[in-house]
Amino acid sequence: MGLLQYVGSRVMSYFMVLFIGITVTFFLPRLMPSDPIENYIYELQSQAGQSLSPEEIASMRETLSQIYGLEGNLFSQYLGYIQRVVLHFDFGPSFSAFPTPVLEFIFRALPWTLGLLVVTTVIAWTLGNMIGLVAGYFHDSKAANTMEVIGVLIYPIPYYIVALVLILTLAYVWPIFPLTTTVRPGPLTFAKIQVILYNSFLPALTIVIASLGWNILSMKALAFANKEEGYVNFARLKGTKGRTIMTTYVFRNSILPQITGLSLSLGAIFNGALLTEILFSYPGMGLLMRSAAGAGDYNMMYGTITVSIFAVATAVLVIDLLYPLFDPRIRFR
Amino acid sequence: MKNILRFTRIGLLVLALAIVVGCQAPAAPAASDAPAAADAPAAAAAPAVPAADTPMTDVGTPRNQTLIFQTFDRQTADPSNMNPMLSYAVWRGFRELGWGFLWETDTGTGESYGELAAGPAEVLNDEHTKFRVALKEGIYWSDGVEFTADDVIYTLETNFACKDVATRVGGVINYVKEGGWEKIDDYTFEVETQKPAYDIQQNLGVRTWGANLVPLPKHVFEALDNPCETKNTNPTVLGPYTVKEFDENGFWILWQLREDWERSAWADLDEDGFMPKYVLYKDFGPEETRSLSFTQNAYDVDTFMSPDSIKAVQSRNDKVTTFSPTMPYHNMDDACIYGLLMNMQKSPYDLLDVRWAMALSIDLETIGMNAVNGEMIVSALPMADTQILRPIYLDPLMSFLEEFALDDGYKPFNPDFGAQLAEKLAASGATDIPEGTTAFGLGWWNYDLDEAAKLLEGQGFTKNADGNWLLPSGEEWVIQLTIPGDWNKVMQRIGFALADGWRAGGIQVNVQQVDSAESSTIQRVNALREVQLMWTNCVFTPSWLGAWRELEPGHIKPADSQEKNDGNRQQWDNETVYALVEASKSMEQDSEEFYENGRLIMQEFIKDMSWINMMNIPTTIPTNEYYWTGFPKADNYYAVPYSWWSSAKEMVANIQPTGN
Repeated sequence: MGLLQYVGSRVMSYFMVLFIGITVTFFLPRLMPSDPIENYIYELQSQAGQSLSPEEIASMRETLSQIYGLEGNLFSQYLGYIQRVVLHFDFGPSFSAFPTPVLEFIFRALPWTLGLLVVTTVIAWTLGNMIGLVAGYFHDSKAANTMEVIGVLIYPIPYYIVALVLILTLAYVWPIFPLTTTVRPGPLTFAKIQVILYNSFLPALTIVIASLGWNILSMKALAFANKEEGYVNFARLKGTKGRTIMTTYVFRNSILPQITGLSLSLGAIFNGALLTEILFSYPGMGLLMRSAAGAGDYNMMYGTITVSIFAVATAVLVIDLLYPLFDPRIRFR
Repeated sequence: MKNILRFTRIGLLVLALAIVVGCQAPAAPAASDAPAAADAPAAAAAPAVPAADTPMTDVGTPRNQTLIFQTFDRQTADPSNMNPMLSYAVWRGFRELGWGFLWETDTGTGESYGELAAGPAEVLNDEHTKFRVALKEGIYWSDGVEFTADDVIYTLETNFACKDVATRVGGVINYVKEGGWEKIDDYTFEVETQKPAYDIQQNLGVRTWGANLVPLPKHVFEALDNPCETKNTNPTVLGPYTVKEFDENGFWILWQLREDWERSAWADLDEDGFMPKYVLYKDFGPEETRSLSFTQNAYDVDTFMSPDSIKAVQSRNDKVTTFSPTMPYHNMDDACIYGLLMNMQKSPYDLLDVRWAMALSIDLETIGMNAVNGEMIVSALPMADTQILRPIYLDPLMSFLEEFALDDGYKPFNPDFGAQLAEKLAASGATDIPEGTTAFGLGWWNYDLDEAAKLLEGQGFTKNADGNWLLPSGEEWVIQLTIPGDWNKVMQRIGFALADGWRAGGIQVNVQQVDSAESSTIQRVNALREVQLMWTNCVFTPSWLGAWRELEPGHIKPADSQEKNDGNRQQWDNETVYALVEASKSMEQDSEEFYENGRLIMQEFIKDMSWINMMNIPTTIPTNEYYWTGFPKADNYYAVPYSWWSSAKEMVANIQPTGN
């Protein structure tokens, strides 16, 4: 198909995915038995020593329904929601933190999530693929086998265990890093960046280690398979240098599926890293989503999930459009 | 090729070194002297320069001048929102340190006392709807302006003006009559309630841990464009502490003592002239990392650490202590209790014998040992067994419980529960068993599967070949048990232990873990609930009306109704209880007549088994006494040791530095 047709079909799919995703996102939480009004009333009840009278509860239910904009039938609420989101990218106020807008929370959490996960995803991907390439290409050497064994050992270890081991080792036995994240408010100076890096190192290290195993093993398998291909043997027989074979022939073909994986991983970072955030008291999108689901905060769920859908769909679109640059075989199809 | 390997190894080594060098720990945080935000109150004085070897906290204050609490809620959603009319950061010390209330509750005695008010509210009419309140003189806001009746009047007006936007004014606008207030002079005002009120001090003041009415500074709020939606960040406060700094991501907040703290709302609680210069509410992570931090003396008071973690920490740090050196180790005077809410409109829970069979099939000793290491205070009555309530309500009902019999003459109450639990604990190797076994409560129901079987068979239940109970219809009886998810780990463990116990007795159970929002909905919707493990029946002071006010006619819904009920979550239809509650609404709530009505209501609870009460909330609050001493303990009990109750101010006023 022509290039324009190709781009056009991908872009149309992209918008269709967004529309379906946003629609499903609206209706799904409404099907849950959670009710943000009941949750908030229960919180107020708890703080009033469970002493609110039935009349007070009935009155609050009505008032909160008006304040939260949950009156009217579901379809009219859906139309209003689509209009707000599509035209203004406005998800309304958070219910559990009314009346602060949802976007304020997202924009506060997003830099932390992006900063941590972009860096760790890229590091884990780069390091893992480098090690995997060498392990796959030099599969006969002891060093390469050792790298593979490291990957095999790391990969099945649950993230939680990796994190706790590192916390115990590097924050308790040898207290080099802090047990929890503490960043004081203030302008973004070099000193503050240093503090952020210092507090983020341990969470980042846990993510890199936990993600490394898969990248090593997958790249190793691809490199090993590609190394045995006919065109590689031909290049070797032709007298092509080993380094050139490894980088230009084996690596370039092995990296293709890894690039797809990377782009999907980068899209998925907008989900945050919930376990990391819980373990290290690290601010991010994961905790935001989790607390929204727990509190039945519809608007917050809409905002965080939509951002995630948008990110993943965009990542897929970008990789679809850029893939021909990596794989000339697609270019000429 | 060997070069490639070598270069790869060198590359990895260089990368590792770069990471280590680049992430050197920054310089220790400087002593905090940054001014607060632009709309802050008068800046606090610069802190005294600590000695060179004094450890500093992560927020730049001397550790030995900072009292540190683990937060109740981990991360707060909107940390910059400090407007008490909105969904503000309520668990961040505002009720404890910043706000002033008209009346506070002395949690050592359960009595209400004037904090901003000079004394009790004066009743002005026979209907008990009009009141006069005299205020104390000489209390000042943190910006130096005196607190007067103008502030209270303004607060009432603003609560009503903001009712369409503010989510936390319901307790005031549904209680006070709109427009029913009048300033008499600078230190006196009158207020009118919508209905006869015999508990105005607990409604407009503190009932257990916070108040509906939080006075606003009129001189600050009236200058704002939109007082209803202002975030009120770094607020002007009446308490002795002001917000110094807070984490924009909601994990901590630092409070600093005002220079003029002796002119604040509750300065008179302090008798020795000393208050910690700083108080920090901070999240130290999940229990795994909290126990490490606690061992390192990183903070002073934890919140709901599990018994196992407390033991582990104590084995490494002898400064970590509990409320009592003997079991159950902790103060469990929280107002609310754990128990089972049954949908009494739904079959088979509408049958009295079935409810009793369920109660008699609960092996609470084993549940307690498995879920909370036996560190519990049980209560068969629907009320927490606390030092305030026991003499008034529980002790007088012991004879009723001991004499109470089911229709077949069986007496279900076991007054020796505590002694039996103590034996079991001793046999399992537990130490520190108290001599007085009433430390575990005054007794509970027998664990008697034979009697339970008799009751069920009398209702047409049978057993299948596997020994599981079948309904009269022949279907297997499966209890749908709703329990909290991991947002309440203690109840989660209790729930699973309960289900295991029932299964052992032939009652099949399907456990459904839910989030907090879902849990809140389920308790009010019959269609969603069969049996729910939850906490309720919250009574702290001797006034029980707040807890049982909802037991009134008109809230019973059909068994599978999707409609939410506004009251009577038990769905319990009992005319005697309705009449007792109604009559008590116009009684003085510290009268013997009122107390007797409470006792009669509890007897009805037992006769109908409308709520299977289990235990007081196991509030496991360990303290670290390395830097601070004087926390409430069993031998020095002046207040409940709960950092998330407004009465934590008593703790702050009483503690002393150790000198470390």
